[in-house]
Amino acid sequence: MAVPPPLDKLDPTEVWKPWKPSAAEPWDRKWAAHLYRRAAFGASSAELSLAVKNGYTETLDLLLKGQPKAAEMVSTLNDVGRVAATRDADGTQLRGWWLYCMLQGGHPLREKMSLFWHNHFATSIVKVRDPDLMFRQNVLFREHALGTFGPLLQAATRDGAMLLWLDSNSNVKGKANENYARELMELFSLGVGNYAEKDVREAARAFTGWHTDGIGFRFNEAQHDDGDKTVLGKTGAWKGDDVVKIALEQPACARFLVRKLYSFFVSEIDPPAALLEPLCASFRKSEYDVASLVKTMLASRHFYSDHAFRTRIKSPVEFALGAVLATYRRYDESDPHSRPLAHQSLIRWLTGMGQTLFAPPNVKGWPGGRTWLNTATVLERNNFAAALVSGVVWLPPAEQQAFVVSSDLPPPKALDPARVLEEQKATKPEDVVSALLDQYAPGGVRVEAREKLVAFVADERPTGLLLARRAREAAHAILTMPECQLA
Amino acid sequence: MFSRRQFLTHSLRGSSLVALGAVVPEFVAQTARAAAPGKDTILVVVEMTGGNDGINTVIPYADDLYHKARPTLRQTKQQVVVLNDNVGLHSGMQALKPMWEAGNLSVIQGVGYPNPDRSHFEAMDIWHAADPTRKSKTGWLGRASGSMKNRDGGVPILHVGPGKAPLAAAGAEGSGAVSVGEQNAFKLELGNGDRKDARRKLLEEVSAPAKTAGSGEDNPLSFVQRRQVQTLTAVENLRELLEGPNAIRGFGGGLQQKFQLIAGLIARGFGTRIFYVSLEGFDTHAEQGPTHQQLLTQLATGISEFFRELKDTGNDDRVRVMTFSEFGRRVNENGSRGTDHGAASCMLLAGTGMKGKVVGKHPSLSDLDTDNDLKYHTDFRRVYATLLDNWLECDSKSVLGAKWDHIKDLAVR
Repeated sequence: MAVPPPLDKLDPTEVWKPWKPSAAEPWDRKWAAHLYRRAAFGASSAELSLAVKNGYTETLDLLLKGQPKAAEMVSTLNDVGRVAATRDADGTQLRGWWLYCMLQGGHPLREKMSLFWHNHFATSIVKVRDPDLMFRQNVLFREHALGTFGPLLQAATRDGAMLLWLDSNSNVKGKANENYARELMELFSLGVGNYAEKDVREAARAFTGWHTDGIGFRFNEAQHDDGDKTVLGKTGAWKGDDVVKIALEQPACARFLVRKLYSFFVSEIDPPAALLEPLCASFRKSEYDVASLVKTMLASRHFYSDHAFRTRIKSPVEFALGAVLATYRRYDESDPHSRPLAHQSLIRWLTGMGQTLFAPPNVKGWPGGRTWLNTATVLERNNFAAALVSGVVWLPPAEQQAFVVSSDLPPPKALDPARVLEEQKATKPEDVVSALLDQYAPGGVRVEAREKLVAFVADERPTGLLLARRAREAAHAILTMPECQLA
Repeated sequence: MFSRRQFLTHSLRGSSLVALGAVVPEFVAQTARAAAPGKDTILVVVEMTGGNDGINTVIPYADDLYHKARPTLRQTKQQVVVLNDNVGLHSGMQALKPMWEAGNLSVIQGVGYPNPDRSHFEAMDIWHAADPTRKSKTGWLGRASGSMKNRDGGVPILHVGPGKAPLAAAGAEGSGAVSVGEQNAFKLELGNGDRKDARRKLLEEVSAPAKTAGSGEDNPLSFVQRRQVQTLTAVENLRELLEGPNAIRGFGGGLQQKFQLIAGLIARGFGTRIFYVSLEGFDTHAEQGPTHQQLLTQLATGISEFFRELKDTGNDDRVRVMTFSEFGRRVNENGSRGTDHGAASCMLLAGTGMKGKVVGKHPSLSDLDTDNDLKYHTDFRRVYATLLDNWLECDSKSVLGAKWDHIKDLAVR
């Protein structure tokens, strides 16, 4: 493929125009998988086949809107989550529930945006210490996931977990605590450089008395400083909501969010400001309509180009769920092969890879990108892959097992990477590798790596159960490859 | 300093990474680049578990009150390693004498915090979390690792010893703190049976950078590729140190073996910037003399041998060793020739090229706190802050939650 022009040579109006598949660049598994990695958490092989069959427009539409009953399912999902939040104090059940929503909630893009907001308004259960408050905040993110940013920012500013997290109760008249005011500007709306220290101090006064009763927002009038404040050039007897409004009026707000969403959906290679300008303009004009911004990005020519293809490092959630989705087959419940996914089994692996849901490292969230990968987290990814292909991931921890399960036993069919050999009737090493790559690395891998895989599968010509086992070993290796760490 | 050739021979000998046939030259070169010892500074924290008797570690030998308070445990000027006219190191720490004379050792006296806790568990948490209110569920090193530059991309914190990682390391990003003890947790999972070598080889091959790949390439794919190769190399390095023909014997036992392992990892460019080890047994309520002597000898020998090994590989000037204990012990010895739980104590900081000195005065043995224990004059968080800002180069304020004054006399560089 020809080397594309550098980012600063691209025409900012052209790149955001809708992409149209062509004979030279058709809608195929490569681009379908690309879209599913970004707009969802990956896809099964069957989903990708369906996506290619249904065509680009229909697939994009399905991802943007979710399954037909996705909206109706939300209240059921939330009912389950509410109960999960009461089951323990450390949030394990809650994490398992959210993973369920991501994998099987019918609207992966909504969950992905919820994850984006969780990282944007990064709040940790480590300090909040109440799974129910974390659950409520999560419901908030889901509700506003693809809504407009203004109401979300207002709601997050009154969220119980957030108020605890940023010490709102210690923000009192005459002795302002700047914590929320600062993060509102620095991390939630404008970014460093777009406000002055004085704005933070004045805004903090507007947030005095902005308290919580331990569950939700409670305005403590007696502790509110009702004097005039000057925030970002505007003077008045502002309260918290007013400061949020003022922040939303700043041109920096759209720039800040568009850049962050670009990095989340399109590419982690820093774009020049000019490239994002058309998106900022329409985002502002739409009064921060997130769904329409995300749609523009995911439907753009730029998105289906080398500037976007495999230019993000998968977060642990993306890596693990992607691998699970590629492996798992959801059989009909009446089928003897049907197996439910044990979502909670994934949590300890995610922690090892550096992403414990509901517990981001600090208010800046997970720094992401290249920081996801160090020798400890890469090793964890390798070992997760090994445990996934052998099915060990799904076994209860050794101390809870009634009897020792040998890891040499093949995993149940629904969770077996080697199922693909049977489904595709692959017996020749080349075919086995093709089938596995199609499943785990759609879009292809480096030729030399592929050759090594074929040689590995061909060694001593295994057949039957031995071939299936060899295929699992090859699947492990594929999941450790650089291509599989990239979204 | 190792030459590159020596380094390669050293780090790749015995590893299956050398058995890659045609791929070797460029692959090995890239591996070396990925794993070559960087210039990141390193901190090794030594926990002296049980409450070290600070008064008999940095000894106020010239103070009559000391000799009165410690009739059986006292040491004289002739016994101690004299540091200045007032204090000297316990006789068990002779091994540190050359480091002291070379200016490579500092002792910090009178370290503590307000309203000291005398419970092992609670006091230890306070030092680990750097939070006397004990509200924090994360550790100071864990928090630091998140805001530190880690150019080599290694395991952020490596805890060398049995059991799980300490609270100090909690909150580290990524897998954060990895513990290696008798049960090495830093292992590549390759299933059971005889397929391990073939599988390991495949993993190396499918991530090996292309023979033609330029070294300056920095697209996401080459970056990830480098990290994967580096990880496999690190696993091999550790495996060789623990299981290879020249495996470090008795590892998991003595402090010196733990230090040896750390020195080996640093030499091989493991990329970790914070190491954590413990030396246990300082809770000397009875017959303290011989036990304390033996522990301090282990500590002093461990540190001096560690720096000797680091010097051999040219890494001594980028490593600092800091010691701490959860509390010191009471001024007066008890009736069992031992000492009971006290408060303020001393810390040691060792490293090449840091203008070592005695920092701060020994706390008075007569002007005591309300519990009749030594008064601290230096909050331990000032030591942390000095190391965080000046050595690990990360913002101490964000790690400790407040800005602490640096200790002016404590040169860490």
